[in-house]
Amino acid sequence: MKVRDDYIMKPVADTWAVVPVGDAAKKFNGMLTLNESGALLWNTLKNGAGREELVKALRAEYAVSEETASADTDEFLAKLKEAGALEE
Amino acid sequence: MIKQSILSIADLSISVPDMGGFSSHYQDYLTEENLNPDIIIQHGEFVREKYPAGTDEDVLCNLECVRLLSAKLLSYMGCVIHASAVSLDGRAYLFSGPCGIGKSTHAKQWLSEFGSSAVIINDDKPPIRRVDERWFAYGSPWCGKDSIHANMKAALAGICFLKQGTENSIRRLNSNEALHFLLWQTLHRFRYPEYLNMMMELMDKLISEIPVFELVNYPGTESVRLSYETMTAAAEEMGL
Repeated sequence: MKVRDDYIMKPVADTWAVVPVGDAAKKFNGMLTLNESGALLWNTLKNGAGREELVKALRAEYAVSEETASADTDEFLAKLKEAGALEE
Repeated sequence: MIKQSILSIADLSISVPDMGGFSSHYQDYLTEENLNPDIIIQHGEFVREKYPAGTDEDVLCNLECVRLLSAKLLSYMGCVIHASAVSLDGRAYLFSGPCGIGKSTHAKQWLSEFGSSAVIINDDKPPIRRVDERWFAYGSPWCGKDSIHANMKAALAGICFLKQGTENSIRRLNSNEALHFLLWQTLHRFRYPEYLNMMMELMDKLISEIPVFELVNYPGTESVRLSYETMTAAAEEMGL
């Protein structure tokens, strides 16, 4: 599980946008935005983390249960997949 | 070889092909010969495949000039927004939204309400730019079907997206909403996805520094007072 190299996250005011760059941008048809915890997950994933490490990163930063962190991580990964930002 | 005209728009010198029915609007913006214009737009850059076969040449030229201008303005911390821009008391108020939502109608109602102190500086596609940490909206000759424009600039006070309704209400959009609304009326509208990265840098500054609203609008005096008072109060609070 890896984020595609041609997708980048950009801060916009107090939100974060994930956008394709280069050739991938030509197929751009809608934008993925992330909140603060989503941005944390993105950066962790970019650093090569797997699903378990993402859950751990969330729990280290926010006071949430294992279940909540797991659910949030899965939701995040599903959003990325839908946006085409994950490598096949 | 198509002759180029040098126009002064958005505090920049811009070389554009002197063609199409819209070039008659260039005269208000013509400036002296400049061997080194800030932005060059050439006929050869037009992407014809973006338009249905048989599109009128004047229309195509007009739309491509705006599209290329918006993309090239990104290098100068600017872009073009699909909006009607009204200037009042030195401030520019932008009304945006999809075609047919009533942008021009709302702008015209401002003129009825405020008389000659209000001026429409561009009725459809005003350039905006951040210069020395301040935002401005500008007149330009590419301005929609009614050709309403004025060669002037005003400090950008706010951007308001219109929505039709049976009652009037206005609310400030959060960053996430503002970004989605703005991208739809800039990037998507003018079709240059390859500039997404630069566009996000512009949006970061724009959304942090300029208030963005949604007005549910039942046309009339009441909606004008509501947009004017709300946007002006927010602009004053932010020192715009």
